[in-house]
Amino acid sequence: MTFYSPVITNAAEVAGSDKLHLFRYVEDANQTKIETYESHGGYGTWRKVLTTKKPDDVIAEVKASGLRGRGGAGFPTGMKWGFIPKDSPKPRYLVCNADESEPGTCKDRVIMERDPHAMIEGMAIAAYAIGCHLMFVYIRGEFGHCIETVDKALQEAYAKGHLGKNVYGSGYDLDMIVHSGGGAYICGEETALLNSLEGEKGMSRIRPPFPAIEGLYACPTIVNNVETLTTVRHIMERGAQWYRTMGTEKSPGSKIFSVSGHVKRPGNYEVELGFSLKKLIYDPQYGNGILGDKKLKGVIPGGASTPFLTPDQINVGLDFESMTSVGSMLGSGAVIVFHEDTCIVWAILKLIHFFRHESCGKCTPCREGTGWLEQIIRRIEHGGGKPGDIEKIEDICGNILGRTICPLGDAAVMPIQSAVKHWRDEWQYHIDHGKCLVPTRFEFV
Amino acid sequence: MSTSTTTQPAVKMVTLTINDQSVTVPKGTTVLQAALGAGIHIPTFCWHPKLKSVGACRICYVEIEKMPKLQVSCATEATDGMVVKTESDIVKRGRKAVLEFILANHPLDCPTCDKGGECDLQNLTFAHGLDDSRFDFLKRRHIVPGVPSTFDDLRIGPEIMLNRNRCILCYKCVRSNKEAFGEYDIGAFERGNAMEINAAPGEQVANPFSGNLVEICPVGALTNSDWRYKIRVWLTQTTPSIDIFNSSGSNILFYKEDHKNRIFRTISRRNDEIDDGWITDVARYGYQLVHSPDRLQKPLMKKGSKQVPVEWEEAVAFVARRLAEIDDTKGCVCIGGLASPTLDLDSLHSFSKFMRKVIGTNNLDFRIDYRSLPEKPDSAFSTLSSQPFTIAEIDTSDVIFVFGSDLVKEHPNEYLRIRKARNFGRPLVYSVNSFNVKSADVADREFIYAPGTEEVFINGLCLAAIEENPGLSGADGLKRKISPADLNSAAKTCGVSAEDLKALARTLINGKKISFIVGDQVSLSRDREVIAAALCNLNRLVGITSRGQMAALARYADSIGAEKLGLIPNPHPDVKRALTDLWGGFPEMAGYHTEGMFSQMLKGELDAMVILGANPVAMYPDHEAVAETFEKLDFLVVADLFETETTAMADVVLPLASWTEFAGRYVNLEGRIQKAERAIKPLYESKPAYAILADIAAAARKPLFSSAREREEEIEKVLACTTVRPWPGDYLDVRPPAIDKDPAYPIMLIIGDDPHHRCYVTEKAASLVKFCSDAYIELSPELAEKFKVEDGDAVRVESKYGKLMAPVKVSRVLEGDVVFLPRNFSVTRANSLVSRKARIDWVRINKVSG
Ligand SMILES: Cc1cc2nc3c(=O)[nH]c(=O)nc-3n(C[C@H](O)[C@H](O)[C@H](O)COP(=O)(O)O)c2cc1C
Ligand code: SF4
Ligand code: SF4
Ligand code: FES
Repeated sequence: MTFYSPVITNAAEVAGSDKLHLFRYVEDANQTKIETYESHGGYGTWRKVLTTKKPDDVIAEVKASGLRGRGGAGFPTGMKWGFIPKDSPKPRYLVCNADESEPGTCKDRVIMERDPHAMIEGMAIAAYAIGCHLMFVYIRGEFGHCIETVDKALQEAYAKGHLGKNVYGSGYDLDMIVHSGGGAYICGEETALLNSLEGEKGMSRIRPPFPAIEGLYACPTIVNNVETLTTVRHIMERGAQWYRTMGTEKSPGSKIFSVSGHVKRPGNYEVELGFSLKKLIYDPQYGNGILGDKKLKGVIPGGASTPFLTPDQINVGLDFESMTSVGSMLGSGAVIVFHEDTCIVWAILKLIHFFRHESCGKCTPCREGTGWLEQIIRRIEHGGGKPGDIEKIEDICGNILGRTICPLGDAAVMPIQSAVKHWRDEWQYHIDHGKCLVPTRFEFV
Repeated sequence: MSTSTTTQPAVKMVTLTINDQSVTVPKGTTVLQAALGAGIHIPTFCWHPKLKSVGACRICYVEIEKMPKLQVSCATEATDGMVVKTESDIVKRGRKAVLEFILANHPLDCPTCDKGGECDLQNLTFAHGLDDSRFDFLKRRHIVPGVPSTFDDLRIGPEIMLNRNRCILCYKCVRSNKEAFGEYDIGAFERGNAMEINAAPGEQVANPFSGNLVEICPVGALTNSDWRYKIRVWLTQTTPSIDIFNSSGSNILFYKEDHKNRIFRTISRRNDEIDDGWITDVARYGYQLVHSPDRLQKPLMKKGSKQVPVEWEEAVAFVARRLAEIDDTKGCVCIGGLASPTLDLDSLHSFSKFMRKVIGTNNLDFRIDYRSLPEKPDSAFSTLSSQPFTIAEIDTSDVIFVFGSDLVKEHPNEYLRIRKARNFGRPLVYSVNSFNVKSADVADREFIYAPGTEEVFINGLCLAAIEENPGLSGADGLKRKISPADLNSAAKTCGVSAEDLKALARTLINGKKISFIVGDQVSLSRDREVIAAALCNLNRLVGITSRGQMAALARYADSIGAEKLGLIPNPHPDVKRALTDLWGGFPEMAGYHTEGMFSQMLKGELDAMVILGANPVAMYPDHEAVAETFEKLDFLVVADLFETETTAMADVVLPLASWTEFAGRYVNLEGRIQKAERAIKPLYESKPAYAILADIAAAARKPLFSSAREREEEIEKVLACTTVRPWPGDYLDVRPPAIDKDPAYPIMLIIGDDPHHRCYVTEKAASLVKFCSDAYIELSPELAEKFKVEDGDAVRVESKYGKLMAPVKVSRVLEGDVVFLPRNFSVTRANSLVSRKARIDWVRINKVSG
């Protein structure tokens, strides 16, 4: 049996650790089968929770663990669950966000491809905690194989009585629906995801109301990332105290980082939060250094929407607080590495092209601003930059930042702002000379 | 006539400061609305007072203390102690930035844009002094393939043009269409800055409310082909009026060109108590019939076998003489009159006085399309139709019950109101009818009862209520009066299960505030008295009106006015007393109502008819109306806007002025008196009905009124009488009559208005004809399958009484053995198929091959 996609992971290290847990079985090709999963104690936690714990106990445990959302914003998971109104007569929904489309991020995919039952078990526990009887997983449309794998796992879970009516004789009904996305980045944003799930156009909704109050079909809804929910399963298995032995005080636990770009060993690595970014890039167990042993130019540490770090900033811990302290964000944990041969204007053009293309188009600043930015950056890249363009870019970015419905607008401009700040002379050179200061020595296909 | 007994719960108030001004508003109000209410202007593009806020355009930024970012005021709730600034530097900069983004791709084609002069974007741009753009790229352009025009205009509906280049993507068109109207024929396509508005694939934007989309577009992206390029808006004058095609009396505004006697367009004149600012396409384009080249220009008189134009004097003198002759020879019992319930109060009262004082008869009516009418004035149905009903109370109802109504066609305005209630509140809505209707899309559940079992269904509801709550008073008494008297047989007969009936009964028992609407399936039914009796019983049993409102809604612009003025043979005793006092007498005779007059005509016992603004030959629901009935008359005088099937039979035809051509008052379904001002002078030689009647009376030397003032005073006095009839003091007998059914005619025919037409006149409004120009047979997909027909195929519809041919339209709503036929088209007279004596109009259909 082979894997659908050969992704490098640090499963061996995780298996040898008594703490790391997410990747323990991801190199076992049989792990997708329910028998294998159960043989490792799979669904035991769900059974234990459902038959012995009250929903509020689960919320309390997750709160105590200090788990923060792995979808990008790092919002405390237990606290989010606590926002579900206690007295609402409406049904509640849990939605697992598996739209994973943030450029550079490919961690949820590994979980779904290789350990789908762990995600389902985590979802079941979370559903129970919030009193939900129908849960959804919204999987990125391009992930056809994930959809198949999760769907198959789902059938198995039903067949074995882990889902369905009266689970484990507890009287609790729990159903699950796998939903395929249609191929839009914005549908990873939780409110656009809910619109898409309802059959509407995938466009973000203004908050408030927050989904926990009025989400799917205007009912209380919790949206959590795949990794978040999978982690819930492990927390409920081993306890909040155990979980807190990993990571930092404010960012406890472990997290998967997807390392890509100009590194020798791109892959997905589960490490404790607070782990050194430098080590992740250079350690042979992980990134193993820069491609062609070139010099590092910059790193986007948390997915395409986070500001650049320069080489002097990478001696930093990969946790929410440390990342903020150096002016960037942990985001989804996608570490994208650029070496010295990268033209920054070229790189930013790729990014703004992506965000312009993926803007849902609902709010004016993001819809019009990303389009305008792309045109200016394109002309600079192609040698047509005009004096004043850099100031214009900065001004337009300022008129988008903090002015949009959803964070995509911010996401689009933050890397640009940081790139202009860090490498302003390169931009200026481009405008003055009509070409790159750093000739780009590789091409994307 | 707001008589709702329920009181609103006390609303919590919050106080905030806006630009140093203290403002107190109910909790839940947005900062924007708080500001607007306090007279502080904040610009908006995507916000609409009747839609949910989406915060898309971002022009409505304000600065709020303690919030680091600018906030969109349209989607931020005002809270206690909030300190808001709407004109600070940072707000102005933010707003200017948004404006710059919007203008980046907006063509600066104001000089050729029809919105110029009333464009929100143009106004705001001037206000902000943006005269130069930093955007130095080619603007986004949506080219229309195959159209060699630099305007890039795209036709997306019979009356709507779209220019995507000008669109600022506020989504108001798409949102209102979906949210407010429940329609999906316009949408947003693509994504991000490639996004565009367009008609749904393969469709036209042609829903019955489509004109509103143009009206709420803040820029010139959506324009009406009706109005565009005809005139600049600053060269117009406006006149407030009301929609007389609708019993709600939506408020509208006519635009006419300065110094010219021509109306150019209609827009809404938002009245939150009635219409929320939405009007139907019929209200919007209906004015065009006023300028139709088919308008009657001069009086016509039959000379020999032909009608020839004559002067008013001759026509009036002739009418006066002929009526006097018939009165002398046959007696005034042989003269009758029908007046349209869309006429103004002055005309209706003049008609009443003309018939009763000048001629001396009680043979008069305004109920032009009722099949059977009761002899007694205090019937169960008159109770039901006289009940107070307040449109705005729908908003706060927690249970809304629509019984026997195809709401979008009969009461479009109330349909929108229920939608709004659904959007902003959580009412339980039920739609109950004998066939599927579009308006059921706002309902939590739709129930279909078997044809002709309205009263059985209501009986079933009563019985279910008793089972749910045996303590309901008088339950035993009720059971003795109705049959079947047990729930299961009622359920079986009407085809709605006992469980469902119980669930419905429970909601009616538990509802805190109920709006119960009774529609045409009851009002126009042969057996409406029986059904009304059942409804009276239901109200007595569960007490609906003690917790809300329940009424058979009036169907025409002035039905309630006509009722209140006593335009029926035997009016409400108070009205009769008032009229007797005013006139010093009242005809002794009982008088015939519409159906009675028909029967008398058929028997040859009615010799003369005076008809004002009605076309019974084409509209009265009886095949015999089409045939000889009117030929038997000795003398027929008809006043109308156009030549019709009825004027064709007349001895004298008089040109009637339309509601736009004189100031008139109308009473809407709530009992609210509203005025339609005079927008233009009467065209040609047309006159309002009250003036025509005054002329004839004068010619007969029996002047109607000494002055207009006297007429008005009389109307005031009569309207002062209450015509609400009390609910019966006991349960009424409800014994369902047998339903006649012949296996040779297995399909139920429903006749009504096309959503873009009303009665027989809108055929003359060019825009409405673009939406629908001819009759059609709308049938369920099952029937289409069965008869192997598709859209456009011709079918023959045949009843015991007649047959006709029409093209097929496969329905998106109807299910089962039901067909719908509009009654609005002169070439296809729907009434030739039906009998006023039948409860259900059964037909059969055949495909016409070839
Ligand atoms: C433009 C945009 C794209 C996003 N894409 C994803 C995504 O692909 N997967 C994801 O889990 N969260 C994504 N998010 C974050 C979600 O909105 C949401 O915060 C998250 O699913 C919450 O889960 P968590 O609390 O478990 O992190 C995205 C947010 C934005 C603004
Ligand atoms: S910020 Fe962009 S993606 Fe988010 S709602 Fe606005 S237009 Fe859509
Ligand atoms: S067409 Fe008009 S109403 Fe519709 S989105 Fe564009 S600007 Fe707004
Ligand atoms: S009016 Fe408030 S965002 Fe458009």
